[in-house]
Amino acid sequence: MEEDEIFEQRTDLSKLSAAVDQIKTTLAKIIVGQQDSIDLLIAGILADGHILIEGVPGVAKTLTAKLLARSIDAKYSRIQFTPDLMPSDILGTSVFNPKTTDFEFKRGPIFGNIVLIDEINRAPAKTQSALFEVMEERQLTIDGQSYKMDEPFIVLATQNPVEHEGTYRLPEAQLDRFLFKIEVKYPSLDEEIAIITQQHQHKTIDQLHDIKPVLSGQEIISLRQQVKAFHVEDKLIVYVAKLINESRNNKSLFLGGSPRASLAIINAAKALAAIRGRDFVTPEDIIYVAAPVLRHRIMLTPEKEMEGVTPDDVVAQLIQKIEIPR
Amino acid sequence: MARAGVKKTVVKKVPAQERLDTSKIQIKKFDAAAVDKFRADKNFNYNEAQDDTSLWTRFWAWVWDKLFGWLKYSRYGGTILEYVLIAAAVGLLIYVVSKSLDIDPIKLWRGEARKVDMPYSESLENIHEISFDSEIEKAIAQNNYRLAVRLLYLKCLKQLSDTQLIQWQIDKTNAAYIHELTDPGQQQTFKLITRQFEYVWYGNFGIDKQAFSNIDALFQDFKKQLS
Repeated sequence: MEEDEIFEQRTDLSKLSAAVDQIKTTLAKIIVGQQDSIDLLIAGILADGHILIEGVPGVAKTLTAKLLARSIDAKYSRIQFTPDLMPSDILGTSVFNPKTTDFEFKRGPIFGNIVLIDEINRAPAKTQSALFEVMEERQLTIDGQSYKMDEPFIVLATQNPVEHEGTYRLPEAQLDRFLFKIEVKYPSLDEEIAIITQQHQHKTIDQLHDIKPVLSGQEIISLRQQVKAFHVEDKLIVYVAKLINESRNNKSLFLGGSPRASLAIINAAKALAAIRGRDFVTPEDIIYVAAPVLRHRIMLTPEKEMEGVTPDDVVAQLIQKIEIPR
Repeated sequence: MARAGVKKTVVKKVPAQERLDTSKIQIKKFDAAAVDKFRADKNFNYNEAQDDTSLWTRFWAWVWDKLFGWLKYSRYGGTILEYVLIAAAVGLLIYVVSKSLDIDPIKLWRGEARKVDMPYSESLENIHEISFDSEIEKAIAQNNYRLAVRLLYLKCLKQLSDTQLIQWQIDKTNAAYIHELTDPGQQQTFKLITRQFEYVWYGNFGIDKQAFSNIDALFQDFKKQLS
């Protein structure tokens, strides 16, 4: 007996499920493994969030982000962050037009629907801060003039771990603006073999050109509205609040989660529920998204950092302390 | 040499004249009555006061003198003592006020956030302390089928815990318990009833008497599987 025999679905998730399946199938043609990362990327798009992808060089961070961007029919732009990049290189600048004898605003590459920022932590804090307003408020203010970003507006950023040469630590305020920080790990042995085989047979390059968009920007907006209306039980809201509150009182942490983190967990859990074919959130959804939402927002105390404790370890401890509401 | 336009002033010398004080001198005498009156006034008594303090007080005075006496004789001693006392008084005042406002001043000083006991309308019961049968009956009698399903599920978890099929822990999810079951048949049925519970409890799906009896039947089947 299936649950459908007792409960009729109150939300039509067929379109959403079909779109999610198509994106997954498209990505799976080229990306080997990384199922969790792909789920989180899709969840991030459905939750109207920006995503930071971190991993050592050569684990297909940029390729994954590029493929995801290609699978959506929207204006795509890419910015390669370098140490000498200036804010105006990203946002745009006012240029004097001798014909009209007036200044005209020349839009920078940030004006897109899907903006891929490659190696975001190669640029210093001055350039990073140029992204604050646009990432949070989806608008830009230059020379007293505000420019609204077109919807959907998604920033997909990749970065190398901060320990690597030539990288800068992103400011906390900017990290907080990313819904997820997805950590891309090394592939398993079988996955590595599959990657080599694919590349060896030149399959990947051919298929990269064959990628067709499966969702339009307008469809994403409509799916987001559907996901936003999903049900979250009151006790689960209290559960999330307790989790974040615990992070603020945890002795291993110098900085706990912000209210933005609480909201991010709820929104991400709703999006994940959609991917899993439900129109309501369960504790599993919350636990699944807790680490990607919190790992870049919380800050370990220097002692814990020296002991080799990771933010994911602390998130796991926080989850262990709070009772699952039933 | 005088500058042009400036008048020259000539001061004439006048010969000194001798002047004599011819006023009459009156000799003043002390008023004996007034002197006696002042003598009788205690405020003008500069004799050393008699030490009428108790032995206990004198002992403490001696202790304080030994401890802090040096301050009296140091250049800034009096000032330092004054500031210390003022600081102590202010500190005490802050402590008393913050305590009265239910704020821990020591934690505030350390920068620790106050732990807030969050209101939790429906407390998380210990499944080993609930009288399930009577509570389920009560919920059904009140047509609260949603609560009845929840209690049925918690009862089911208790049975699994009692039979050592799962290890009950507060942080374990339903999926974790599903994975703990080793028997495929039990796992399948438990997965199904977990879904029903999740739709009813987390999904807030409406449940009528008919739907409840269908779900209840699933729970009864699982109970038979366990026995």
